[in-house]
Amino acid sequence: MESQPGLRLAGKTWTIGACGQNTSVPVLCMFLTRSEYDRGVNTFSPEGRLLQLEYANQAIKLGCTAIGISTSEGVVLAVEKRVTSPLMEPTTIEKIVEIDKHIGCASSGFMADSRTLIDRARVECQNHWFIYNEKMTVESAAQAVSNLAIQFGDSDDDGSAMSRPFGVAILFAGIDEHGPQLFHMDPSGTFVQFDAMAIGSGSEGAQQSLQEVYHKSMTLKEAITSVLTILKQVMEEKLSDTNIEVMTMTPGKMFYMFTKEELQEVIKDIA
Amino acid sequence: MALLGGYSAGSFPDYEVQGAKKVHFSPYADNGGSVMAIAGEDYAIIAADSRLSTGFSIFTREQQKLFPLSNTTVLGCSGCWCDTLTLTRILQARMQMYKHEHHKELTTPATAQMLSTMLYYKRFFPYYISNILAGLDENGKGCVYSYDPIGHCERSNFRAGGSAGALLQPLLDNQIGYQNQEGVDKTPLPQDRALAILKDVFISAAERDIYTGDGIFINIITKDGIKADKFDLRKD
Repeated sequence: MESQPGLRLAGKTWTIGACGQNTSVPVLCMFLTRSEYDRGVNTFSPEGRLLQLEYANQAIKLGCTAIGISTSEGVVLAVEKRVTSPLMEPTTIEKIVEIDKHIGCASSGFMADSRTLIDRARVECQNHWFIYNEKMTVESAAQAVSNLAIQFGDSDDDGSAMSRPFGVAILFAGIDEHGPQLFHMDPSGTFVQFDAMAIGSGSEGAQQSLQEVYHKSMTLKEAITSVLTILKQVMEEKLSDTNIEVMTMTPGKMFYMFTKEELQEVIKDIA
Repeated sequence: MALLGGYSAGSFPDYEVQGAKKVHFSPYADNGGSVMAIAGEDYAIIAADSRLSTGFSIFTREQQKLFPLSNTTVLGCSGCWCDTLTLTRILQARMQMYKHEHHKELTTPATAQMLSTMLYYKRFFPYYISNILAGLDENGKGCVYSYDPIGHCERSNFRAGGSAGALLQPLLDNQIGYQNQEGVDKTPLPQDRALAILKDVFISAAERDIYTGDGIFINIITKDGIKADKFDLRKD
């Protein structure tokens, strides 16, 4: 076999013995250097980390802040919307969406990635209803989305492979037979239930404030006030009826998005 | 012209020609049997006869045709026994999977819906089974679901199915549904009365239906669990 001179990038030709004949193969990459552990999504670094996942978490830290509180009366979600241009139509930024009547979610990070996950959640909820004629539990919905999120490591032969983890974190707010619940899911597909949780750029500060303000006997009204107060603290811009979204999940109204008027009212309350 | 051999085009030669052959394939067997269920305020009773037969032969006189799927759900099957074996095994696997995936038991109404979709998924090669599902709903009330072979599902309070289904149902309509009766007080059916009707009805079926007899297995489902019982029928 003839060696290909164009590929001798490593400047060295290795000889590999195969079937009794000597074949010259130019080797492009002899050893992985430390800085290359972040290339593949399947390779742990020597410190035991998956760097692509950590980068995905960094991507979420650039995203808009989303906060959720779960109370015995229901769950509230609030997100900031970054309206970057006065020419932008703010209503087309959708960060809180309905998954089923009894589950809503807020996402932070790459919104395009979140669409894929939300679509899966919606399909799984409807499929559950179709097969069992009952509502899917919030935990099961989170589990279903997590099953998709973890597939970033799968290889090509079992369908289509992903090239990277999803760059979004999601807060699921829902009501099922266990009452109102809030779940958080990260790019690795790990999901955990929380009483109160924040994601996005302001999440660290918001999480600190949530720990101070949260108590078990919180009413939904208190939760809405707290969520907006904290959002106000971490947002650069002033709260308005166009740059935030608020949703409540209550046994009465189920998934409910606040109208502009209701937003103005709650903003006025915390001013 | 010489090639055509003397007879005109379109006509056939004098000797016999092999025509299309019809090959028979019968994937189904009818192994008979009857199932019946009654739902009360806080209980459900389901029973199936224990005869497994084909035509004039009896395979066994003590075949259990009731399948407890959970603490509150029992399925009764009659018809093609091999289909029953497959369906109930898949059902048991699905129940187990559900328990692991959702960390809870499948309720009877949810099982009923799942069975319906499972049957419909074999719409064009159905399980040849007459299914009756009995149990308690999420409020603890008795419920009975009956099916056709392709998954139509109906909830009711009493139902008979299988080889003697058509014989038993009118009797239940009269005795439990109080149909064609005048001046009768429609009080909720007590459990002992339901059990008595159920036994009487099976005795009647064994008189007329050769595929039903030998005995019945009974399951009584309450919030305390499933109680199993047996009752003998004529064996001829």
